[in-house]
Parts: sequence; structure tokens; C-alpha cells
Amino acid sequence: MKNNRVPLLYMACLLLVGVLMAAIPASNNSGYQVGDTARDFKLKNVDGKMVSMSDYKDAKGFIVTFTCNTCPYSVAYEDRLIELHNKYAPQGYPIIAINPNDVKVSPKDSYKDMQVRAREKNFPFPYVYDETQEITKAYGATRTPHLYVVQKQQDGTFKVAYIGTIDDNSREPAKVQKKYAEEALDELVAGKAVSQPNTKAIGCTIKWREA
Amino acid sequence: MLAMAFGLFVSTAAQAQEVTTIKFDQLQELRQSPHDTLYVVNFWATWCKPCIKEMPYFEAAHAKYKDQPVRVILVSMDAVQDKEKRVMPFVQKRKLQSRLYLLDEPDGNTWIDRIEPKWSGAIPATMFFNNKRKQYEFVEREISQDELQELINKYKP
Repeated sequence: MKNNRVPLLYMACLLLVGVLMAAIPASNNSGYQVGDTARDFKLKNVDGKMVSMSDYKDAKGFIVTFTCNTCPYSVAYEDRLIELHNKYAPQGYPIIAINPNDVKVSPKDSYKDMQVRAREKNFPFPYVYDETQEITKAYGATRTPHLYVVQKQQDGTFKVAYIGTIDDNSREPAKVQKKYAEEALDELVAGKAVSQPNTKAIGCTIKWREA
Repeated sequence: MLAMAFGLFVSTAAQAQEVTTIKFDQLQELRQSPHDTLYVVNFWATWCKPCIKEMPYFEAAHAKYKDQPVRVILVSMDAVQDKEKRVMPFVQKRKLQSRLYLLDEPDGNTWIDRIEPKWSGAIPATMFFNNKRKQYEFVEREISQDELQELINKYKP
């Protein structure tokens, strides 16, 4: 009798997992909202090593940035991303840059081209490739660049604290007046609530894999 | 030779539409246009590959419905500083015939939600509306020629 229950329970668990997995694509359409728990990932960096948020024992959170080689907006923001990382990594919020673009649709976003770009710009942060686009879909990123600032919770999970853009002028860094991401990060570092947790900008659509 | 090249340039320039620089208020005004007309407003930029791929479909629709209450309008998201050296040459090279605007609003965060809260900011994106008939549809992705035709058929007065 008791022996019978174990497989039943096991099957029930399997069924539950199946139901949960089937439910994932539906929630993918919208992705994360501020306040949601963001999933960790294991993606290949330009140096060949796998990167996860859980690798960083001392981080208070992350600036998860969907960006790529080819989008002019992404390119325009490369130097500002480096500055952002150099300013906030010491305060506990490093950048992890993720390239979400499908290589067939956007050949210059290949892993090889990422390595070239990372070397040219000497990125001080990981630049990883979401080849299956699974993480991009889970987060709900739609454009490049698209930032998700996540904050590590006491239980080790990551809560989304900010979704949006870097600042108010992609074309002319000298004319920037509102540094949206920095304002959010300053508030997080100070232990305050983020006053403007959602911002928007025009960007390049993510190059989804064709079915 | 030089004169010929110059003549060619002038004739090409004469054939394409002007690009009118607008601010958000004028975009809002267009969005609220009260006429019994289907407006097809496409947001694009010279640097946006999928936008350029779908552009011929919009141009073809413009030509096809020229004498009907269907207005195709292309709104460039290029920076105003790039109008002369990037947008104009692009427009002239392709002899674009649709109505052309360049939206001079660098901070998307101030206006994207006001025109369409569902829009994340990715381009291409296209709006279809006829305010007289209270019709509206928004598409935030690359569109195929068939899809565009279907949407025009659906809403064309």
C-alpha cells in the first residue's frame, strides 16, 4: 500500500511540473513586471565561461541589460553602460549584458561578433549570449537596449526593481538631463523604494528566431 | 558630367516627399484626427532593418489607396540632427511618396505611454485608426504585406 503511494506522488509531481511548464509560454507574452521574481540563468560569456547571477556571492543585485552588436541605440549606449557598471558594480550592482538576437536573422550578432565587440570595447562586465532566447522571453524584453535592475532578496531570489531605459537621450550623451537608471540604482543603494520603476525608450526590436 | 549628376540629384529630390519635423503635440493631433479616414501610421527609422524591409508594403498601400480615404504616414524616429544627412538622402533614394514626418522627441519616456501604453518602444510599430468609426489597432512588430492588406481591408471606410 505504502509502496504504491510513492509512484503516485511522483506522477502527481510530474504532472504538476508538466502543467507549470505548459503555463510558462502564456506568461512569457508579458514577461516580468516590477516586483516579480526574476529567474537566474546560465549563459555563455564571450570568454567561454558560463555566467549566472548566483555566481556573484557579494552582489546586492544586477543590471541585467539586453543589448546587442547591431542596434545603433545599443552601440550609442555602450560607453554609458561601461560607466554605469564602473559606478554601480562597486556599490553591489554589476551589469550582466545579454545578447538576445537570433544569429540567422541578425548575423552580426553572432557569438564570434560578440567576442570581437567585447574586446574592442573592453567591456568590464560579462556579455553573454541567450542563444535559445528563453531568458529574453522569460524577462519579457522586447527591444535593445532594455534594462532590468534586480535586487537580491534575503532568500537569495532576485526581485525586479526597475525596467526601462538608461537615460533620456540616446543620440547625444551631452544633452542627457534625466539618468533614469542611475536614479533607480541610487534609490536602491540607499535602501529606498524606486520612485520611477518603469521607463520607456525607442529601441530596436529583438530579432526573434523564425519558426 | 557634373551637371548631369546635379540634374539627376535635383530630379530625384523633386520626386520624393518632404519630411516634416513634428513635436509630440502634432503627433497627438494626428492620432485624434476626426475624419472618416483610415490612418496607417508606421513608426520607423533609417537605422532599423525590419522597418526598411516592410517599407515597400506601406509605399504600395499608399499608391493603391491614393484616391480613397486611406492615409499612409511614415513617422521617422531618427534624431533631428540626422535629418539632413541620413533621413533626406534615404527618402530621396527611395523616392518615398507616403506622408513623411520626423518626430523630434528624444526622450521616449515622456511620450510613448501617452500615444500607446501597450507600446514598449520597439520599432517597427504601426497604428491603424479611424476615429470617426472608433476603430483602432496597434501592432508592435514587423508586418507582412498580407497582414497589412488584411488590416486595411478590415478598416477601410
